[in-house]
Amino acid sequence: MTNDSLDSSVSNLLTGRVAWVFGDDFDIDLIIGVQNIKSYDPAHLSSVCMKTFDEDFGNVVRRGDVIVGGRNFGYGHPHYPAMIAMRNAGIVAVIAESFAPGFWRGEIYQGMPLVSLPGITAKVDRWDLLELDWRNASVLNITTGARLQGQPLNPHSIDVIEAGGGYRLLLAQYGTAAAVARLESDS
Amino acid sequence: MGFTITEKIMGRAAGVNSISAGTNAQFRPDYMIAYDFPGYTDIMFQQMQDDFGIVKVLDPERYVLFIDHMTTRSNDREQQVHDVTREWGARNGVAVHEGLGIGHQLTAELGYALPGKFLVHFDGHVSGVGAFGALGWGVRKDLLEAWVSGGVYLDVPASTRFWLDGTFQPGVDNRDLLHSIISTIGADGCAHQVMEYGGPGAQTMSIDRRQGLCAMAMFTGAVSAIFNPDELSLEYSSRVARTDYDPLYSDPDAQYVSTVNVNLSDLSPQVVMPGSAKASNTKSVGDLAGTPVQHAYIGSCASGRIEEIRAAASILKGKKIATGLRLNVVPTSESIYQQAAKEGLLDILTEAGAHVAKSSCDFCFGYAAPLQDGDKCISTGVLNISGRMGSVDAEIYMASAYTVAASALAGRIVDPREVV
Repeated sequence: MTNDSLDSSVSNLLTGRVAWVFGDDFDIDLIIGVQNIKSYDPAHLSSVCMKTFDEDFGNVVRRGDVIVGGRNFGYGHPHYPAMIAMRNAGIVAVIAESFAPGFWRGEIYQGMPLVSLPGITAKVDRWDLLELDWRNASVLNITTGARLQGQPLNPHSIDVIEAGGGYRLLLAQYGTAAAVARLESDS
Repeated sequence: MGFTITEKIMGRAAGVNSISAGTNAQFRPDYMIAYDFPGYTDIMFQQMQDDFGIVKVLDPERYVLFIDHMTTRSNDREQQVHDVTREWGARNGVAVHEGLGIGHQLTAELGYALPGKFLVHFDGHVSGVGAFGALGWGVRKDLLEAWVSGGVYLDVPASTRFWLDGTFQPGVDNRDLLHSIISTIGADGCAHQVMEYGGPGAQTMSIDRRQGLCAMAMFTGAVSAIFNPDELSLEYSSRVARTDYDPLYSDPDAQYVSTVNVNLSDLSPQVVMPGSAKASNTKSVGDLAGTPVQHAYIGSCASGRIEEIRAAASILKGKKIATGLRLNVVPTSESIYQQAAKEGLLDILTEAGAHVAKSSCDFCFGYAAPLQDGDKCISTGVLNISGRMGSVDAEIYMASAYTVAASALAGRIVDPREVV
């Protein structure tokens, strides 16, 4: 689907560094700590994001970076604030060996490019520079030259991500003119 | 090539003759369900009207609302939350069920969960409807897509077949089966799939056991779980049906990712350590026996049905729970509460020192009787992440109603086979 008026800024090829590599069955609530999983305050989320993994994460991460996960990334009851914190920090995509279904559905809805790519954790180290074709699920590790190819996203998921999330796609398809106009003026 | 019951239900929901695992398409659910909760349904109601111009839904009989969370404090805040729901339901002609218990159970009792039906909810425990040969899928925020457009895009899942033989030993139930499966296949063992239960052992399982088992599908990574209809479930469906239905069944030559054989007779009580239900946290009860607990809970959409109340009563009859321990027993619905009262089970539990509460979700998510710092609780609830039932510094062990009742008696985790 294309809709110029609501086209988002997600480009085909994303180039970014690996800001962190997580292990298997990773519960994303730990990104911000379970005591913060109901917070939607950006400043607070920023102050707690990744603190238990890297105290300095907020300073060293850059807009355009990606994170890499192991098997079953997002296992548990994945609350939204953890990835809101990650997005605010600059993370633009998640690549993992595999994803937990709840996380997958929830984050595709939020417009986050997700790439399921078995073997990825063995092919990247923190701060490697990656070129990611998220539509086709292919990754080039620019730092090492390694290439990996996964299972491409289905067309509907691509539509959702291109629209900037499930809500924006739904608005483009079914929203009132006023709501679409408001969205355009917001973005 | 044959099809699974899941493929057939989804094919029907897509309006096609056949559809195979892996296909992405838009599906029209028979029922689109939610419980009201601040930040979820109130926002959806607002968005429907403000952003999509829907002041009255076209087919209200497909929308179902339950009031089952935030029901125990009886304060103004609760009334405000629920009034928004009542008003939206009344304006749209949509059923709002309240005061009857936990929605995931009422979905069965009120005849929504019928063979061959496709039901979506934002909450994944809707998978419990698989007990009746219906497919329930927790689609999270995509529920709004269904509410607005009438359909939802999904990938048709492949299925893993769990072929069950034997029968549960005394003191062992579906909860032990579920955690045994996780410890065998892992927390992503059925990722993005449906768990299809079958075999002679499945047929020996009561409706309650099937519901509790299917309700927990998400902890193997599955999107749902299902039983093919049989005499037992069809009899239930025929009693409660609110509409016509046409059962569907897996073909004998349906394609499965794999088949996992389980002999129910070989199972033993399982206890899940605090944190999550992943395999490494799942232990035989003997490994954790002796762990002191101050709180115990029997209830939730995955437990608290009459079988679990009977199990607890059989263990607690004529005895007293440990001094200082708090045992909350929360029947899954009002009708189960009434049934338990009629059978004298609630008196037995109360005399043993248990606190029996009216049906609600509130105990499971720490809204009612929240745990305090340092508390250890043994629970039949659905989730044991830190903070789930109150303090983030409390610990939640998960187990069957047998194990919870036996542990409440002792004040420490014990093997229920010692007391049944």
